[in-house]
Amino acid sequence: MSRIGVFVCHCGLNIAKTVRVSELAKFASTLPDVVVAKDYKFMCSTPGQEMIANDIKKHKLDRVIVSACSPLMHEQTFRKVLENAGLNKYLVTIVNIREQVSWVTHDIEEGTAKAKAVLNGAVYRARLLGPLTSRVIDVNDDVMVVGAGIAGIQASLELANTGKKVYLIEKNSTIGGHMAQFDKTFPTLDCSACILTPKMDAVMQHKNITLMTYCEVSEVKGFVGNFDVTVRQKARYIDHSKCNGCLACTEKCPGKGVSEWDEGLVKRKAIHIPFPQAVPQRPIIDRDACVFFKKGKCRLCEKVCEHKAIDFEQQDTFTTVKVGAVIVATGYDLMDTQPLVQYGYGKYPGVYNALEVERLFNSTGPTGGKVTLRDGKEPQAIAILHCIGSRDKNNYEHCSRVCCMYSLKFSHLFKEKTTADVYQFYIDMRAAGKGYEEFYNRIIEEDVKFIRGKGARVAESADEPGRLVVEAEDTITGKFVKLPVDMVVLSPAMIPRSGSKEIARLFNLSTDKNGFFMERHPKLAPLSTMSEGIFIAGVCQSPKDIPDTVAQANGAAAEALTIVEKDKMELEATTAMVNPSSCCACQNCVRVCPYGAPFFNEQKGVSEINEALCKGCGLCASVCPASAIIARHFTNDQVLAEIEGLMEF
Amino acid sequence: MSINFKHIEDKLKTEAKKLLEQGKVSIVLAYGKGYDDHHPMPYVARNAADVGNIVFNEFCTANLARYLVRYPRGTKIAIAVKAADSRAVIQLIQEDKIKRENLVVLGIPVSGMKNSKTGEIIDSKTTCGLYNPVLYDILLGKEVHGKSVISPYDVLAEYEKMDKDARWDFWKKELDKCIRCYACRKACPMCYCDPCFIDQNKPKWGEKSPESHGNLMYHLTRFHHLAGRCIDCGECSRACPVNIPLYLFHKKVAKECEEMFGQVAGMKIEDKPTLVNFRVEDSDKILE
Repeated sequence: MSRIGVFVCHCGLNIAKTVRVSELAKFASTLPDVVVAKDYKFMCSTPGQEMIANDIKKHKLDRVIVSACSPLMHEQTFRKVLENAGLNKYLVTIVNIREQVSWVTHDIEEGTAKAKAVLNGAVYRARLLGPLTSRVIDVNDDVMVVGAGIAGIQASLELANTGKKVYLIEKNSTIGGHMAQFDKTFPTLDCSACILTPKMDAVMQHKNITLMTYCEVSEVKGFVGNFDVTVRQKARYIDHSKCNGCLACTEKCPGKGVSEWDEGLVKRKAIHIPFPQAVPQRPIIDRDACVFFKKGKCRLCEKVCEHKAIDFEQQDTFTTVKVGAVIVATGYDLMDTQPLVQYGYGKYPGVYNALEVERLFNSTGPTGGKVTLRDGKEPQAIAILHCIGSRDKNNYEHCSRVCCMYSLKFSHLFKEKTTADVYQFYIDMRAAGKGYEEFYNRIIEEDVKFIRGKGARVAESADEPGRLVVEAEDTITGKFVKLPVDMVVLSPAMIPRSGSKEIARLFNLSTDKNGFFMERHPKLAPLSTMSEGIFIAGVCQSPKDIPDTVAQANGAAAEALTIVEKDKMELEATTAMVNPSSCCACQNCVRVCPYGAPFFNEQKGVSEINEALCKGCGLCASVCPASAIIARHFTNDQVLAEIEGLMEF
Repeated sequence: MSINFKHIEDKLKTEAKKLLEQGKVSIVLAYGKGYDDHHPMPYVARNAADVGNIVFNEFCTANLARYLVRYPRGTKIAIAVKAADSRAVIQLIQEDKIKRENLVVLGIPVSGMKNSKTGEIIDSKTTCGLYNPVLYDILLGKEVHGKSVISPYDVLAEYEKMDKDARWDFWKKELDKCIRCYACRKACPMCYCDPCFIDQNKPKWGEKSPESHGNLMYHLTRFHHLAGRCIDCGECSRACPVNIPLYLFHKKVAKECEEMFGQVAGMKIEDKPTLVNFRVEDSDKILE
């Protein structure tokens, strides 16, 4: 016999609008073992909590059921109430009659009936609940940051400055990310490298940051507070402990590869550093471009290297790093615009994408900062096309948020560096941000021509060979425009970095339909993920500008700190255990566990579960054919009782 | 395509004797005499003297892989397998119930096996229809060539014509016949749970006496537990004293698994069991 108290929340009208709450409470009072049932306007308010606490004492309750919102919201609140009233906190059951009942119907009959069914199930289950003891574990106080663009750099510096040890992982051979490719940043037009390189250098110098470039995460084990992350150091074919960065090798190298840094506009050596301010200032060999790797002969770099740092035998190596929290900041790629054949990218040499143009402006870029076309001529007319692939139902529905602003920046820079006429083809201008509208007004003053209409097609000019024609509908005049230009700049959709699907799998992150990482809550937990201890920052979450990215990075650093600051942390008691006498040694549990908690005990011939690793997800229990695995708090008996209760309706 | 059963039996005896004498294995799983020639029984030879009792004829249908899991882990075992039986061995290796290095697989390429109850020839209607073992160390005889009369899934054509309700009625009617002798479970090489879920009391998953609900619970759960694991030897159906066509359900599930995950149970040692192996590229059809 248990003594159950049922507390039904109105949540203002959120629940009461489509569930007859007083009827529900009355119904609850008729259920077995229920000694008190009440409804109240806001159960989570202080009077609501006090009411539960008083009733626990008055009616000697030993189980409490709160019929309210999702347990994600207030489970902790009500667990505290029980704890303070002297009950084990796992004896509270939250019945979600808001997200799962009242918000999914307009019909009060339907809502009330469903609420009764789920409440009935909960009462049946609650009768079988037992007290559980939480576990306390040690917390590793180091943090890993994945991705060393501006978000990763910022988060690492913040954390390192608080005295935490940071492992910063970057898949390229230099840190800096996309921001290091830019020439100027909007709206202030300050030099991107001038504000970024001091931070890159600070990362290099910081005693608390272990920089791991040309590395990729290959395996993640463990859980919040105790992650074991295996990192693959890709072979650079250069021993960085011997290399002093003299770069004599890069002068002699005959191998030619495509410069990723300059967006493929020029070639670079096989042995190279991406750009002069690269951090670390140490070259790598591009295996695909290296003459030795391709033809078996050359090794010129080896001959000129005084420090014997070249090592053609080098292999990938793996290291495992232990950390308490992880910040994922893997950034973005621009969408490949070649499949959008109407814009002629890759077909006409005069069509560029935004990142290529960034490199054209930059003094370390392929043209030394001069704006010239691929044939070396200066353009006389330039069209910038907004929203290529984004805000487009056929491709990506989302707005990439920064294109309007960088397109304005491009206009300014084109005006500064050429005598060309500059045209903007836009759907509507989005200039929300500090100083952005002012920047827009400033560019209007600079004699840039704005045509409200999305660029529909880029074609070769029939009248003037070699020139291009941009076709669009000017939606202000309602007229069809055909504009001859020399250069077309596409502003493509920003999409998650290639490989972020793999990152999502490794760190157990959910993604939205475009592949951006999902936050735990869009408003109240924008940097947390559903995987505890894993945080996200920057464009990997959604497109955003540099100020927002930096703000998120700082926020993520603070979030990570809330975990690694603690010496110990409490873990949920809802873990799984194996009943060895029923175990049939099929090892399904070992195969399905995402956390590596079950293992096979060869000697006893049964599976066992390492409770320190168990997160209580219940996967193992569901695949156990012999029902030998008991998921605490969700035992077979408890779940079956709940189902029975549900099915009575 | 005539099979010389006597020849196979002789070879089986010779190889078994050699293995036991050389001490390479401690037992040989094969067939021995039953109460008549039509009913040979599984037989365990433990020393060279036992080998004389081994027989092999067209009624030796039992899947001996069933007995592999009975011996302590690490026991060195030689086992006589036909085509589907070898798939069971592979599946058990995939599930890490046995280790490849502890096994000597004596493969028997054969066709024209007969059901000892009915005398009918067994073909791909009730089994996977393969002739040659997928895995073996020693092949006892020449590989059999020739096409199976029909594909292992062709027999489903009739069944698949039924709609949802008709299928439900069909299985309710068939499973109502079940007398809960558990011969299917005993014959199945993949049914190795001890205790079986249906024998448990807490929670009690289903009624234990033969009645509709308990029968449904037992069989549907067993079908589910064998999803992606059934190697289509047909032993369950042959063992059934009331002739429930269990192979139909198993074949249907195997077909769905193959279509959805591109994997057939017990064909490759390096495969992972389908339903407990997550791959990013796996079909999401099951969620729809």
